[in-house]
Amino acid sequence: MSMSQEEIEALMSGAGDLGGDDSSDAVEDAVEPIAETQTSEEEEVNIDDILAGIDGVVDDGSESSEKEEDNFDDILSSIEGMTNDQSEIQEESKNNSKETVESIEDLIDQSQYPMPVKNENKVVSQLNQVADDSEQKASQIFDVLSFVLDENNEISNYNKEMGEFIKSQEELLESLSTKFPNISIFSENLEKAKSLADSTAALAQKVDSENMKIFEAMELMQFHDINRQKIERVMAVIRKLNDYLNGIFEDDSDKPEVQIAKHISGDSNDIMEADDLESLISEFGKES
Amino acid sequence: MRILIVDDSSTMRRIIGNVVQQLGVKKDDFDEAEDGVVAWKLLETNGQYDVILTDWNMPNMNGLELVKKVRAGGAHQKTPIVMITTEGGKGEVITALKAGVNNYIVKPFSADILKEKLDGLVKG
Repeated sequence: MSMSQEEIEALMSGAGDLGGDDSSDAVEDAVEPIAETQTSEEEEVNIDDILAGIDGVVDDGSESSEKEEDNFDDILSSIEGMTNDQSEIQEESKNNSKETVESIEDLIDQSQYPMPVKNENKVVSQLNQVADDSEQKASQIFDVLSFVLDENNEISNYNKEMGEFIKSQEELLESLSTKFPNISIFSENLEKAKSLADSTAALAQKVDSENMKIFEAMELMQFHDINRQKIERVMAVIRKLNDYLNGIFEDDSDKPEVQIAKHISGDSNDIMEADDLESLISEFGKES
Repeated sequence: MRILIVDDSSTMRRIIGNVVQQLGVKKDDFDEAEDGVVAWKLLETNGQYDVILTDWNMPNMNGLELVKKVRAGGAHQKTPIVMITTEGGKGEVITALKAGVNNYIVKPFSADILKEKLDGLVKG
């Protein structure tokens, strides 16, 4: 099951708390009580020294703790089922691991291990989905690029109109400034119009070079098709391999499936020695 | 100039469409088909095309089969065909040329290459 973005964010912020500067404060907080304990121990030592200095006062704390330990063992042994036997624990874990191996074998028999045969684990189906999703996204990217291209074309058209108007104003101001050289506003505005005409020319150039880059990006999107075909080639190989393996492992005989042996001589695990076998048989014989 | 673009990848059809638009072809002057079967239907129903630009590897009917079908007879027998494909092997190029394609472009291609090939076909 995939995580949502919110869940990922929450997880990330949680991890941040652990790894951030706060952690040093937390460590300090944790260290403080330890430090306090240490101080109290030191104090105890001082008290012991003082007590040792006083005649008649004897510290038999160690003796009493030994006695207490003996008492604990007695108490534990008196409670039914309370044993400290390591072999029993080992036996239990051995049984657990055996059960795990058996359950894995069951899962393999049911085609559930290492992964269940679900659509999301089928290789060809997944590759097919990757190719389709990629095609869809490439189409969306193309939409975005086309939109930018269309917008740039509109900008170019507006810029062209502005350029034409500025050009006409430039001509007008040129004739006015020639006719009325004493009126400075004409010559000043003529300079401004010339500067704006340069700006529109620069803008047109920028839009053109941007369009070229968009065309370049569109051309590069051919690699999406090339990669899709590479995926299709891999899919074809897997399909052929599947057919081949099915063919080579196919059992033409009508023999029913026989139960397979779990432990065969030569296997390293759980094979009984001949002596053990004999003793086990005789043991059972005695019981019956 | 009327152009028929045949490719199973919608992205590829748009790329080619964009390039031909850059060359001055209007959007209404080119049609798109996702495989040879659809292309053949368009050829039968939509009248004359000046150029067919087709991919090779497509489902249902591939580009090579389409070329053979067009060259076998009918109204489009003489229509120039350019194959635009990822198949870049010499053997494939020879096979396509033998089947009747007029020109061959290997993907990825630049707009200039397609322009050059189309100019050559129109002038020729």
